[in-house]
Amino acid sequence: MDWDKLVQLLVNGVTLGSVYALVALGFSMVYGILKLLNLAHGDVLMVGAFIGWGVLGWLGGAQDPSVAVWILIVLMVLGAMVGCGFLGVAIERFAYRPLRRAPRIAPLISALGVSLFIQNSVLLLFGANFRSYESFDLVDVEVGVHWGPLNVWILRIVVFVSAAAMMIALWLLVSRTKLGKAMRATAFDREAAAMMGIDVDRVIVKTFFIGSALAGAAGVLVGLVFGSINHFMGFNYGLKGFTAAVVGGIGSIPGAMFGGLFIGLAEALSVGYIEDVTFGRLGSAFSDLVVFLILVAFMLLRPQGIFGKPDVKKV
Amino acid sequence: MSTQPPEQKQGEPAEQPRIGIDEWVASAAERRSRTLAGRFEEAYERAPPALKLVALALPFAIFPLFVDSDYLLQVGVDTLIFVLLALGLNVAAGWVGLLDLGFVAFFGLGAYLYAAVASPYAGRHWEAELAIPAIAVAVAAAGFLLGSTSRRLVGDYLAIVTLFFLQLWLVVMVNASFTRGPNGISDIYPLEFFGREVVSLEGYYYVTFAAFVLVVAFLYLLNRSRTGRAWRAIREDELAAELMTMPVNRLKLMAFAVGAGIAGVAGALYAPAQGAVFPLNFDIVLLITIYAMVVLGGAGSIFGVTVGAVLINASLEALSEPDDASWVFYVAGVGAILVLLRRPRWAGAAIVGGTVVFGFVVHELAERWRPSLVEGSTFGTARVDELVDSWVLLPEGIITQDGLPDGATGKLAFLGLVAAVLALTLIRSPLWRAVGLVPVLYLAACVWENLLLAQPATARFILIGAMLVGLMAFRPQGLFGQQRVEVV
Amino acid sequence: MSAERTPLLQVEGVSLSFGGLACLSALDLVVDEGEIVSVIGPNGAGKTSLFNVITGVYPPDKGRILLEGSSLLGLDPHQIARRGVARTFQTLRLFLNMTVKENVMAAAYGHTKAGVVRSVLRTPGMRREEREIERLAEERLGFFGDRLVGYRWRQPAYSLSYANRRRLEIARATAARPKLLLLDEPAAGMNPVETHEITELIGRLRDEGGYTILVIEHDMHVVEGISDRVVALDHGVKIAEGSFDAVATDPRVVEAYLGTSGSERT
Repeated sequence: MDWDKLVQLLVNGVTLGSVYALVALGFSMVYGILKLLNLAHGDVLMVGAFIGWGVLGWLGGAQDPSVAVWILIVLMVLGAMVGCGFLGVAIERFAYRPLRRAPRIAPLISALGVSLFIQNSVLLLFGANFRSYESFDLVDVEVGVHWGPLNVWILRIVVFVSAAAMMIALWLLVSRTKLGKAMRATAFDREAAAMMGIDVDRVIVKTFFIGSALAGAAGVLVGLVFGSINHFMGFNYGLKGFTAAVVGGIGSIPGAMFGGLFIGLAEALSVGYIEDVTFGRLGSAFSDLVVFLILVAFMLLRPQGIFGKPDVKKV
Repeated sequence: MSTQPPEQKQGEPAEQPRIGIDEWVASAAERRSRTLAGRFEEAYERAPPALKLVALALPFAIFPLFVDSDYLLQVGVDTLIFVLLALGLNVAAGWVGLLDLGFVAFFGLGAYLYAAVASPYAGRHWEAELAIPAIAVAVAAAGFLLGSTSRRLVGDYLAIVTLFFLQLWLVVMVNASFTRGPNGISDIYPLEFFGREVVSLEGYYYVTFAAFVLVVAFLYLLNRSRTGRAWRAIREDELAAELMTMPVNRLKLMAFAVGAGIAGVAGALYAPAQGAVFPLNFDIVLLITIYAMVVLGGAGSIFGVTVGAVLINASLEALSEPDDASWVFYVAGVGAILVLLRRPRWAGAAIVGGTVVFGFVVHELAERWRPSLVEGSTFGTARVDELVDSWVLLPEGIITQDGLPDGATGKLAFLGLVAAVLALTLIRSPLWRAVGLVPVLYLAACVWENLLLAQPATARFILIGAMLVGLMAFRPQGLFGQQRVEVV
Repeated sequence: MSAERTPLLQVEGVSLSFGGLACLSALDLVVDEGEIVSVIGPNGAGKTSLFNVITGVYPPDKGRILLEGSSLLGLDPHQIARRGVARTFQTLRLFLNMTVKENVMAAAYGHTKAGVVRSVLRTPGMRREEREIERLAEERLGFFGDRLVGYRWRQPAYSLSYANRRRLEIARATAARPKLLLLDEPAAGMNPVETHEITELIGRLRDEGGYTILVIEHDMHVVEGISDRVVALDHGVKIAEGSFDAVATDPRVVEAYLGTSGSERT
């Protein structure tokens, strides 16, 4: 039993899972409130990654930053969060709000248009080449936790910790603040919430802002840990994030967190072991197949996800 | 106003105005025949189906006679393939209202299956009259299987599962050894019908055309049957349909299967026409493009979807040629303005005129005060590009050799344009909106000439994405779709 | 009551809860062929839930439902519909963007057989079926006099007035060739003239169409005018059953509606 490999895979899984959880959170929040699948969410992550890269370049680049590394990282994340927050608000305002009364698939198709638009706009402005965060220049690869079989680069810890911190902050927001109560009320019954004096449009805007900000942060974290970004990266993270949200229970915050970690670990372990398990028949690229099977299994056996409640229709 | 509803049946009492008879509704047909468009609609509805099919097929049938270049003929073949794809997607997404995001995987599956039965790589060469139906059935079965994973689930979940299926397809096709990975399979054998090989481009055009005719007839007949009615009922109200004896799940699966089967046929024709298949031909960009075709033409309408496919594919082709791209942009742009701003009638023309004047003024000022703003050049080589050379701003150094925006100006101009367009939709008063439209249109032309023309392949998808969002927000029924009433 | 034949509908000990809320509690109901039975009760009494359980939208937590002696439990709603149960909805659920005639034709699906192949090839069998379906739709729509005939056949359903929409929904339900017709508040939102028409209509449905009818209604005039029997529900429990007069004056029913033991019949 190769413990080193297993530990490494678990670390990878947790890192990846933290990112997926952040994506799943934003996705789940929007679905909870609007019953809308924001298919453009992955591209918001991608824009966040580019904003982070832009901030990095603006402040001197990875080799010669003009501020301390940790401040730099915080600025990158904040910049991405703010930028993506506003991007999310714009997407809601222009692509989804006109379709509030339209059938369910209308905003989904609109989301496809938004996705195509954003991806190609970034491609137009920045080109197809992968851009690198050059994170190894930013933070030396040796810096981290080295304890027994555990060899964790500090940036991976940063990813996990910041994701966890954001999730805790979000959970507190939703359960303890007035805004959170308004969000929960709107998610439960939009019309009734409006009649109780809640400015539903405002709540929706804030939900999109927060959700998209989380995705933006996730984008920067991805850039930091995995090094390179390009205009198409949003698709994969978006898809895994959606899957995580569904598996964890869509509309549920603990569900998104748990689902993200679950999917991240499933993917990392698959990448590591699938070749062994299938005797070389399937390569590590087939980890997606494992995640897909997990998704399908949940769809068939427990469509409400782990933390979700079965959806009862009133006829 | 007439109080007689038209088309009285024998033995019915003469209609007098009375409770229960709606005069306005009854005279709808008469009002429609007063407009030109209405008369066309009426004639169309009254025409026998065979005539409609001939009318639809005729332009495609005679197209090769008017075309002398191989390139255009190839575009014709590609267009017909796209039409087939749009027709296939229309079944699940247009008629039943299911969001199938994995659709192009079936297209790819059909193409690869053909490669699997007719290439040196596979070591065999099935004849087309066997291969194509077999592939249609096989891909339809795959569609059936995929659909069955979403049993009883809300359409939202179906979207995710099908999207993942597409992703999976791409992963498998690129990585599995038996599919030859990203290099795909090449040297695919041409179609062979009863011993005769199809080798000329014209031949492929007519084979694809024949498939088009068959598919249109098939779909039309299917739509006018209990299955079509049931599909449309499901789109209206799934629960009510189920309670009115329709087996909703089974019907949904059938829609998936039929759509997938058509995509499979399209793939089976695409592979030999191209000669090779590569997995990344069948990606999400293609998927969104086909959705755009369906939405533009009018989801649910066979005619509409066909037109949508032709328009978009033709635009895509034209937009990737520097010689033609600007024509599409300006003609479509001006056309859209004239069509959308019809109240009052002179509004559209006034805006266009105003923009032209505005542009000349700005250009003059720039020439005087900041000549560097007009000394650059555009990548476009169409005649219209030469014309607008003295109208738009062409700053120097805004683009690098590769066509990427250099520095901040280009990027800011693009982002500024997006923001301005969005801001315009927020203005309520039509007057201020019109006023604001003029500089925005000018800016759009400048961005087009400077930035978008430098990367036409990317620019066309930006336009399609924007068009899709705009369509869904302002005219979800597209060009020829039915304007629907929805219960929220 | 004919005790010899199996009742058309037997609901035995049916219970249904959502979360902690019991919508139906050990409900028993028997409907004989040819009867018109009204189900009354204050809002939230479980009336529509009863319909939902009979038509298979929700499976009951406990109990049995038998149609002509065979169990409906576990069947899909469309299978139950095919066996002979059709309904209308409290909040209309028409196929709004389809024409009036198509709405009715659609409901004939379950009793036809033409599949994809036969439809596309337009076999004589399929064409005969289509003619049958169209004829059936015209006939069912003709049941309402002139209101839904002629040019109306080709109008989209959303162009109909409210009362006509209710009629269309009934016509659609009857096109499914049911034995048992469930009408959920057919007179809701109608003015007195329309209400009177509906009352006559329900009688005609039974007399001319031979349907057994279960009606949920709030309007006591209608209930009085049509019912062979009335069943009163409150909080998911049957609190009274019998003739209209007996049920209307039953103190428990009055209390359920009015809250106190009033002595006047509304």
